[in-house]
Amino acid sequence: MKDLIRVKSLLSTEVEELLNHQVRKEALSSSIYLAMASWCNRNGFDYSSEYFFKQAEEERHHQLKFYKYILDMGGNAVSPEVTGIKQEYNSFREVFEDALDQEISVTQSIKKIYARCLNEQDYVTNEFLNWFLKEQREEEYKARRALELFEVIGVEGTGAWEIDRHVGKIKYDSEAAD
Amino acid sequence: MVTTLTETQTGIWEDVFSTKAGTVYQCDSETCWYINFAGKVAKFDYRCLQKLKKAVYHIDIEAKLLDSSKDPDVEIIFICACDHTYILTLLQIIELKELLQGTFVMLQLNNILHDKLYRTAV
Repeated sequence: MKDLIRVKSLLSTEVEELLNHQVRKEALSSSIYLAMASWCNRNGFDYSSEYFFKQAEEERHHQLKFYKYILDMGGNAVSPEVTGIKQEYNSFREVFEDALDQEISVTQSIKKIYARCLNEQDYVTNEFLNWFLKEQREEEYKARRALELFEVIGVEGTGAWEIDRHVGKIKYDSEAAD
Repeated sequence: MVTTLTETQTGIWEDVFSTKAGTVYQCDSETCWYINFAGKVAKFDYRCLQKLKKAVYHIDIEAKLLDSSKDPDVEIIFICACDHTYILTLLQIIELKELLQGTFVMLQLNNILHDKLYRTAV
């Protein structure tokens, strides 16, 4: 008896489900960053707003990368429903705290898929995920660095204005980045 | 489309899994599965089989068992872009779920055998 399911798709049902879950997670991240960009813009933090617009674009790009991988491997990519996006924040700092939380949650989620693929010996998907793991190094670094600015500069006086200016300059260019 | 089980079928049908209520066959030459259940034999390709599985697995059997309303105890399983529709009683749903669960375990086992034995041997 032929292995017809394998002929049709490289992905197991479980991995396909996890990848679709990740598609939703990336879409959620993109929408969250868009809401953050709006909040920052409305509150006069233009550099941070721009930073979050870029982040939203990146997350959308990640979503499509997962989406197309599922399709390319013969799976069924599901367009996600994204609702319940937080639109208001209590403070400038809270925006960045939430951003870091979101990035940590994405890293954890990718680790979960990676572990499942290792378990199934799905090395093809593992190799695909390597790009995302590397990307998460940068994403977490940037989110952590932004939050660090609140510690080293402080929001008193013109602090918030200073933090906003520096957020736009955050780059991950250490030797470990390559 | 309802297909009757006759000798005029082109390919060889191999048993994948069967219960008292029905049988699932695989036809390699047609790249499809035939499900003999609820008085008919229906042909499913890969996509439709996955959709059927999803539809059946998503039925909350426990909730239906506990439902004391006087609604008829019947579920319509309609699969988008597929030729077949099942109109089943709760007992038949349980039987179909059992049949599909067994089928997918066997297909997974077949995948493991292919992966561990045949492909490594080539």
